[in-house]
Amino acid sequence: MALPSRNHLPAEFSLAGQTAIVASAGGDESPFLAAALAEAGAAVFAVARRDATAEAIADAVTAVSGRETGCHVGRWDTPAGSAAVLESFAATHARVDILVNDTRSFFAKPAAGITLAEWDELHARNVRATFMLSQAVGQRMLDQQYGRIVNVISNLAERAVINCSAYSATQAAVLSLTRSLAVEWGRSEIRVNAVGSGWSIAEDIPLETQREELLVRYTPMRRKGHPRDLAAMLVYLCSPHCDYPSGQPVYIDGGLNAHP
Amino acid sequence: MLENLYLDGKVVVITGGGTGLGLEMVRALTRSGANLAIAGRRPGPIEAACDEVIAAGQDAIAVPTDVSKSSDADALVDAAMAHFGRVDVLINNAAMVADNVLKPIWEITDDDWESAMSVNLSGAFYCARAAAKPMADAGKGKIINVASGFGLRGGRDIYMYCSSKGGVIQLTRVLSFSLARYGVTANSIVPGFIPTIDPGAEINRTLPQSGDFLPTGKLGKPEDLGPIAVFLASDASDYMTGEMFILDGAGLAAGITPTGHAPVAGLEP
Repeated sequence: MALPSRNHLPAEFSLAGQTAIVASAGGDESPFLAAALAEAGAAVFAVARRDATAEAIADAVTAVSGRETGCHVGRWDTPAGSAAVLESFAATHARVDILVNDTRSFFAKPAAGITLAEWDELHARNVRATFMLSQAVGQRMLDQQYGRIVNVISNLAERAVINCSAYSATQAAVLSLTRSLAVEWGRSEIRVNAVGSGWSIAEDIPLETQREELLVRYTPMRRKGHPRDLAAMLVYLCSPHCDYPSGQPVYIDGGLNAHP
Repeated sequence: MLENLYLDGKVVVITGGGTGLGLEMVRALTRSGANLAIAGRRPGPIEAACDEVIAAGQDAIAVPTDVSKSSDADALVDAAMAHFGRVDVLINNAAMVADNVLKPIWEITDDDWESAMSVNLSGAFYCARAAAKPMADAGKGKIINVASGFGLRGGRDIYMYCSSKGGVIQLTRVLSFSLARYGVTANSIVPGFIPTIDPGAEINRTLPQSGDFLPTGKLGKPEDLGPIAVFLASDASDYMTGEMFILDGAGLAAGITPTGHAPVAGLEP
């Protein structure tokens, strides 16, 4: 990633002086999203189940901003797990302004064959983890009467695809949490929104190659999304200037959500 | 990744740009480097807005326009093309809110209905039609329609505003799907309650005077539209189309109970 041209960043998109916790399930979009926050001036603290994910986020943040990233590796889908995240965070940071839950593990299997263990694990990672960390970080935000929470979701929160029943249910659940926490914590200057992606890939593949795939030709914009397509919207939803919007998803999916 | 938020001389045509939400979008777009064709029915406000843009170092023209006349919409895009040589962004913001004055359906005249629909819905269609061709020819363009939370929910006796704004949201979806192949995107901005008119105006009797009824506890400000207008006008939003951006103090996320309703119930054994 190239160094940013900061001169041109409109003030409404500045995160200077803000601190963000970015929780990642390991998706390859997370380093880009964390780097976007860093490019806008935020300090980033990474949370991941695996070392490799935390390292990828830290590397991306350092490349774009020169700053070091604090991190916590471990599961956070229990009260003890989320408390451990906050304990690590508090060792180096005084205040959290922003929480980004990019906690989507993808899973696709015919509904008839999904096991209880698969269902429970997926919901633990995608939904319970989102709630547990939002609850733990939310308590700090309630105490300080300020916060921005952004949940990264898929447009499968709205639409159905064969073999995606368990995954889509998690995305709809996170969308529902987005609405509920926005409504419940609105008076405490906490804003909760979601940014939704469509079919995306974190590599730059030539359009001609992409369009050999029917799924790409079906997408109105006729290309797959890239994590950088979410960057500016994510930054805005995390900023103090994002005061009136709350409780809503914003889909950046190449037009799929309006597709008949 | 964020450098593409800068508008760098992009040409934005905005209707209803002399007052209210439109004027604040003009100001934010100017700060981000846009040049503007500012349309409105009355010359005074749009000329003042135009002077403000020029004083800030960007280029602007004021084009008196009644968007309910398709010839005016065509002339607006022609004027922008003649002055700037291109139209990168169209913001359909002009709207009539006068039907918020309570009136039971049996007192609404054909003219009441048609005049509101012709400004709010036909006006957006006429301007989109006029701007879409030069955008498609250029292989790139952005249409931004300002709808309303009333385009998604019903308001008591607010027939024309709700119907026309719902139409605007659907117009956006059709534009997005139809024009994607030409590199043209279309999105809606969906504001909730944002006071913009003279506090003494009669229609204010039917509009909320405070944000007490909203989950966030406060009404919006016209400036709240600035960042999203800049984002949707910029290359940073190239992959977003057919969508709504809602800013409403979490009103639409809630709304099925009175504000503050908070049941508590334990799990059954």
